[in-house]
Amino acid sequence: MSVEVEVDESDLAEMVEQVWESYLDPEGVSPLIPTYDENQPSEVHSSVSITGSWSGHVVYASSRAAAQRAAAAFLAMELEEVSEEDISDTLGELANIVGGNVKAMLPPGAQLSLPQVVLAPEASARFPNTERISGVYGMWEGEPVSISMWQSSTDNKEEGA
Amino acid sequence: MVIDDSRAMRMILKRIVTKLNFEAVEAGDGKEAMDLLADMTEVPELALIDWNMPNMNGLEFVTKVRADPRLREMTLVMVTTESEQSQIVRALAAGAHEYVIKPFTEGAMIEKLALLGLVPTGANS
Repeated sequence: MSVEVEVDESDLAEMVEQVWESYLDPEGVSPLIPTYDENQPSEVHSSVSITGSWSGHVVYASSRAAAQRAAAAFLAMELEEVSEEDISDTLGELANIVGGNVKAMLPPGAQLSLPQVVLAPEASARFPNTERISGVYGMWEGEPVSISMWQSSTDNKEEGA
Repeated sequence: MVIDDSRAMRMILKRIVTKLNFEAVEAGDGKEAMDLLADMTEVPELALIDWNMPNMNGLEFVTKVRADPRLREMTLVMVTTESEQSQIVRALAAGAHEYVIKPFTEGAMIEKLALLGLVPTGANS
């Protein structure tokens, strides 16, 4: 099944703004500033898979410093106190929230996986037969953060059918 | 009681309910929550429940709680990114009292709990 997906950059950006307002920047002093740079580097990433009415992945990627800052915000800790486990857990929850909201924009009947966290660059991710269809890229306190959607190839599905 | 497989989210929810003078007990999934409930002498007044969790998900947990007369008085609030109308209806039909969609602000969560009569007078100020 091939479904026309209407989740574009502005939809993602609006949802990302809500995440920042709710958890990462409730005082409104350090928002995510768009760079539109699809090739900006990352050092850690997390993802959720979506299956059913749409098939693909939603990926949250950032520098390690941005992830550390996010963990400090989520867990109400000082930056120096943040452990690797704190970073992993926060990345997982960010992927879950972002992915869940993307799912809400898709046709009914999509299912969300539990998050996968990898403390390695997004470029190292192995998402076979997918293409990037949408993304938000920005800098948060000078550190890169991105949220992107990767749709599974329908060619692959057709071959399998 | 805060039930979510994310420790980060449990910390956020715990901070909110603690401000409202609740004593928070944490569980990482529905099964862990049921095990904790079995050992408690006093049933919690409120449970904040995620949907997507390993072992036992939120919907399964709500269904099990509703089947147990001992847990009859617990107020059950889903806290999840799941916002599909049919799924919300399903959770409410299974016995959840309310529904909060992530991301939420602290104010929005307190407002929702106030609607359920769980916020002491003046807690918002």
